[in-house]
This record gives sequence, C-alpha cells and structure tokens, in this order.
Amino acid sequence: MMCIKIIKPGIFSTLQDTGRVAYRSEAIPLSGAMDNLASRMANIVLGNDPSAAVIEFTYGNASFVTETDILLAYSGEGAILYTEKGALPSGKPIFVPSGTPIKMLHNALGARTYLAVAGGWDAPLILGSRSTYVTAGFGGLDGGLIKRGDILQNNIKLNEVSQKLWNRLKSNDIHFTPWHVDKTSFISSKGPIRIIPGKEFTWFAANSLLSFLSSPYKIGMHSNRMGFHLEGHRVEHIVKTELLSTAVAPGTIQVTNEGSLILLMADSQTTGGYPRIAQVAAVDLPVCAQLKPGDSLSFTAISRSDAEKLYLEQEKQLKKLITAVKMIV
Amino acid sequence: MAAFELLQFSTTSHFKIYSLAENAVTIAFGQEINDLTFNQIQSLNEIIQQHPFDGFHCTVPAYTSLSIFFDPVQVITSTKLPGINCFERVSNYLLQLDKHHAEEPTSKRQPVTIPVCYDDQFGPDLTSLAKYYGITKQKIIDIHSATTYKVHMIGFIPGFAYLGGMSEQLIAPRKHIPRNKVPAGSVGIAGAQTGIYPLETPGGWQLIGRTPLPLFDSQNPQHPSLLKAGDEVIFMPISAKDFKSYQN
Repeated sequence: MMCIKIIKPGIFSTLQDTGRVAYRSEAIPLSGAMDNLASRMANIVLGNDPSAAVIEFTYGNASFVTETDILLAYSGEGAILYTEKGALPSGKPIFVPSGTPIKMLHNALGARTYLAVAGGWDAPLILGSRSTYVTAGFGGLDGGLIKRGDILQNNIKLNEVSQKLWNRLKSNDIHFTPWHVDKTSFISSKGPIRIIPGKEFTWFAANSLLSFLSSPYKIGMHSNRMGFHLEGHRVEHIVKTELLSTAVAPGTIQVTNEGSLILLMADSQTTGGYPRIAQVAAVDLPVCAQLKPGDSLSFTAISRSDAEKLYLEQEKQLKKLITAVKMIV
Repeated sequence: MAAFELLQFSTTSHFKIYSLAENAVTIAFGQEINDLTFNQIQSLNEIIQQHPFDGFHCTVPAYTSLSIFFDPVQVITSTKLPGINCFERVSNYLLQLDKHHAEEPTSKRQPVTIPVCYDDQFGPDLTSLAKYYGITKQKIIDIHSATTYKVHMIGFIPGFAYLGGMSEQLIAPRKHIPRNKVPAGSVGIAGAQTGIYPLETPGGWQLIGRTPLPLFDSQNPQHPSLLKAGDEVIFMPISAKDFKSYQN
C-alpha cells in the first residue's frame, strides 16, 4: 500500500480521471481532468492505465506528506513539487520514502497539476468513474474537495510495469529514472487556440466573426471547472431566434444574449440554449485548461476533419508512449 | 476555405446530421417542438441504444435534436464502419439505422407517477401565484395535476427533466430574486415550464410543491435519473402525512 496525507489542500483540489462517458443523457457531465493530456502522462510514466484516478491541484500552495514509501509522478504546469532537498522533476516516476513532506509551489506557467500514484488513487467507482463532481456532490473520496487531513491511498494491485518500476527505484532516498516525458512535445501548436466553427457560427455579424478570430480574449475571474468567461470583443447576434436547448460539450464556446463568450470545460452542463459560435479543437483543450484568470488567448479556425486528424494523431502518440514505457522498464 | 467546409453531412426527409465535436454528432429534426419530432427522436434514440456501434458512448436527446457521443479512436479503427473519417463513419451508420429500423414500433412505457405535496410549507409561492392568476390555490393544484407531461430532455443539472405540456393557465414569470437554496424535490413553474429540482441548488422558479421521491441517485448505475427523455409524467397530489411516510 502507498499513501499520502494532505497537510494543505490548496485552493481547489479534487480526484479526477478521464470522466463519465456514458451518462450525458441524464445530464451528468463528463467531468474528469481538465488537462487530460497531463493527467494521462502522469499515469503513463508510472505504467498505470491512462484513465487511473489522479489528484487535480489548482495553482500551488498545497502540501502533503508521504505516509508510506511511495512511487509518484506529476505533470501539468500549475505547480512544481519540492522536498527539503529541492525540486522534484515532472514527467517521470519518482520513488519517495515514507515521512517526506512535499510542497507544491505555484508555477506561473500554468494552472493545473496532476499527481499520480503507482496503481492509481483509490476511490469508489461512481457511474463508471472516480471523478469528483462537486456541484452534485458525488465521486472522488466523498463527493467534495480534498481536505486537510485526508489520506489518499493507491489501488494496491500493481501491474507488471508499475511493479518493475517500483523494484528498480525503491531505495532509502528520493530516486527517479533518468528519462522523462516532455509534455510540450505532445502539444502540436504554440499559437492561437484552434477552433472549428460552431453550428450557429452564421448567427453573428461578419464584423463580430472577424474580431472573434483576430482579437485576444482574457480569461475572466469567474472561471472554474464548468467553464471560462472570456472577456474581450462582444459578438453581435444577427439571428435573434431563441435556440432550443441542445447538447453541448467541453470545448463549446457559447455566446450569451449580451454577446459575451463562455468556453465550456470539463464539468460543463450537458445541454445549453445559447448559440454556439465555435468548438475548441480537442487537442487544444488541455492548453486552455492551463490558463488562469487574466491570461489571454486568441482563436484561429481549422476544419472539422483537421481537428479530428490532430486528435487521432495525439492519441496515437500517447499509445506509443505507453509502449515506450513498457519497453524501457 | 477549408475552415468553412460544410459541417452538415447528410439530409434525409426528416433530419440533418452535423458535427458537434470530434467525439460527437448531432441529428437535427428542425426547430419546432411537436409530437412528431418528439416521437422521431425517442424512436431513433431507442434504435441506437439497441444497436450501438463500435466506440458508442451515449446519446443526448433534446427538444428537436439527438446527439451521439463516441470514442473517435474506436470509431476510426472499427472494421464495421465505412467512411473516411469519424464524422462520415458515424453519420453513415446512423442513416443506415434510420433506414432499416424506422418502421419498428417503439416500446410503450408506462407514465411515471410523481407524488407531490402541494401544502404551503412545500409550495411557498402558491399563495402569491393564486393572486397572480386570479384563481384559488386548489385550482392551481387541480390544473397542475390534471396534465400528462412529456419529458423532452434531461439537462441543466443531473436528473433535471424538461417537461412539456403545462397548461397555459399556469404560465408565470420567474421570481425577481432567486432563492439561495431550493430543496431537492421542489416542484416549480418558470415561464411556460414546470419542473422538479433534483438537487438542492439556488433557483428562481415559483415553488408550488415538493415530491418525496429522489429524482437523482448517483448510487444507481442503471438509472441515476428517475426520469428519462421520452417518459410521460403525472403529478399525484398527496398530503403532508403521506409525504412523511414516503420519506420513511
């Protein structure tokens, strides 16, 4: 068994995995890690299934102590992990002896950090997932945020890859592999966020569409796991028809009646009645997930089929990463 | 202009398919709420559930649309789904399903009876609504419980049913100041809609009663939501005493 005890939970820390895929018809949101590239990478380098549960930390300012010897990994740009001896590297398996205090200090590069453990964090499966959905109070440890004093434990059954890593790295001191996975190499664009025009794209004035595709937007203060408010050029409706509520998904950009934009994220409602100006390409959602209130972003349009190709290519690379980790241990 | 390629894939006499995201398509049945559309959506939804394709995750029925979510990796590697990309593969499959199964009768479900206590303690807005409508409280209850409602969709929060069919006599504006806490099970009216709060949330609906039935149960993997799209719903007035015994 491997476990940690939370000393300082941080601003918004929850258990997440790859989400609830089968219950949208009952208005149960997908949930899952906001940056599902980082969460899966933290799992993959430990030999875990990519969909194992991880802790999603928002910004830094959190700390925990290892209660047992433990094999951990983290990924994501919200924080850097430190022990008394210095920073721990991200993107690789790390052995940490029992009784080691670990601090997470905010990293200005991003917003969210994912902590994985060999075997995955243990929690009951609720509707097929361990993800916490705070709004309705289910999932995770007890449906809510991770609190001071919480003890998180792994699933004790390790697979062959995790077991080999454990055998190799176990020692009396902090010990990690020389190799690591570089998350940035999986992000196919450093430029504007790529979008596919949404179903109601033509409901807006031409000038508004030009502004939408050329001017920067800022992440608003009231942004959370449900969605981000985007501050910037307002979009003018030319079609005044009320849209009948229909399905939306993480990545949908809605336009409110006042013309402001909302980018839906992991805990988004399953249906919405605002016209949809765009859908963020799935490969760029992890990039959005690392944005903080005040950060700016801009958009560029790509085709639906290109977005699909990018997505399938990224998934192929992740599969390759799983194989490479298997081969290296 | 690759970016502005046609999102729409195909049109039949009664629907169009468009891409919602890399992992979802939506079948649009026009923009009008009516019985024909309602029945077409419920029927196609049932057919898809009975004949899922490789990578199928779930559907989201709505007023005039049915969305289908899937895993693109499984769809693109399936040997059973012809087409050059996921959108085409799933669209082809759906068109083929519609063609071959459209004539199948859909299963008739029993209406769901929801007991509601319309006492003032559970319906704090009944008195002011009676004044607003110019009818008695009992008349509001009679009208509200005489209708068979249709569940068009579940949305907004887990287990929340969008019900169609409320009498026009009961149309009322939302409250000016929303309540910070509306108890789970509260039955309310907003505009031309009536509905039940499945969870305790803030809310601005006019509250007329409460049901002791849990509308949402995360521990029930078969049916976490008591209601589902396509259901018919009847409200049955009960006394405060019955409300208590239901809870036990």
